[in-house]
Amino acid sequence: MNIRDNPALCDKLAAEYVLGTLKGGARRRFETLLRGDAALRRTTAEWQDRLMPMAEFSASAQPRRQVWKAIERRLGLARGHAAWQFWRSESLAFWRSLSLASIALALVLVGVINSPLFDRPQVDYLATLLDDKARTALLLTGDSRRQVLTVRLVDSAPVPSDKALQLWAVPKAGAPRSLGVLSGEGVIELALTDAALGDDVAMLAVSLEPRGGSPSPDGPTGPILYKGNWVRMM
Amino acid sequence: MPDSLTPDPEQLRAWLSAAAQRDATAFRALYDATSPKLFGFALRILGKRELAEEALQDGYIAIWNGAGSYQSHLAAPMTWMTTIVRNKALDLLRRHGGEAEIDGRVFDSEIMDALQDPRANPIDALLVSRDAKALAYCMSTLEGLHRQVVGLAFFHDLSHSEVAQQMAIPIGTVKTWIRRSLERLKTCLAKGERA
Repeated sequence: MNIRDNPALCDKLAAEYVLGTLKGGARRRFETLLRGDAALRRTTAEWQDRLMPMAEFSASAQPRRQVWKAIERRLGLARGHAAWQFWRSESLAFWRSLSLASIALALVLVGVINSPLFDRPQVDYLATLLDDKARTALLLTGDSRRQVLTVRLVDSAPVPSDKALQLWAVPKAGAPRSLGVLSGEGVIELALTDAALGDDVAMLAVSLEPRGGSPSPDGPTGPILYKGNWVRMM
Repeated sequence: MPDSLTPDPEQLRAWLSAAAQRDATAFRALYDATSPKLFGFALRILGKRELAEEALQDGYIAIWNGAGSYQSHLAAPMTWMTTIVRNKALDLLRRHGGEAEIDGRVFDSEIMDALQDPRANPIDALLVSRDAKALAYCMSTLEGLHRQVVGLAFFHDLSHSEVAQQMAIPIGTVKTWIRRSLERLKTCLAKGERA
């Protein structure tokens, strides 16, 4: 059957192919023709664009969570969720140790920082960022009046020269916001803005990124090394 | 938030091309944005939750594996993904032959109402994509029985003779109705007729 010279027939067959009423031998012959005929493929794609939206005429329904888990497993995307959505895979033990460590450290630091020894930068925010073994790696202090965020590297792993650490505020919903790239060693000062202190901030995190910071506008691209949360000290 | 329910095709395209680069994060975002619709569709075809979930799973595996071959100039991303999930669902339907019941209603009643009278019952409220709204409007201009014939064929993968049997009408009539309905839809969609 040569249907190429008959555009009306091509169109009819493509339409019934997409609808599903072209069956059996006719369907198989049509599929063979499709492989060798770009124009026919285009005609078929047009019919798909016309008819497939019919799928939306059935009400949406939420698949159970196992479905995604199974897809993840079958594709070997064990950590298939966004790298920055690490809390989805954290154990309760981690959170317990995180909060205990934060409280203990905060108590010590409130004493030290607000003692007369310091020329009173008004530190009113404090965060300790821990590694995956719950060891303190970074210490963050925020002075909301002067809008200064000070990052002290306490015990962080060495960073290769082509990489950099980047600090993020992770909101309860939406993509993480960059607070800055942590270049240099020891003590780093960044601007303390609403991006870091907003009510929606669920957590602070540090990821390993290419030098200069994450190339993605949507958040971290590298692994999350450290995380923790603000403690407000007022 | 209608935005999260009718994802922007450009966003879907971006996620698909990132998934082609093996970006699991983008793939998850794509799944979150599109799976409720595709699952609802698979459920409509298969009738059973377990089977629909299997179809969805097979579908997204194929989407991940085929993302690199998706040609954005040929089909809209949702069309491409819908075609994949539909094929997986129909494979399952064939394998589990007798199990799925043929549902003569085909469309959900509220969508049916909106189709019959989009002005009285705005389909916009159902949060479907622009393409689906346009198609819904055009289908509303078909006669009720013609629309049912098209829906049966599409959702249940029936042949002309199976549709004829289901609806107890002659096969010649079914063929004519389908041919005319498809022509009518093509013309209507080309004109961009809207409610």
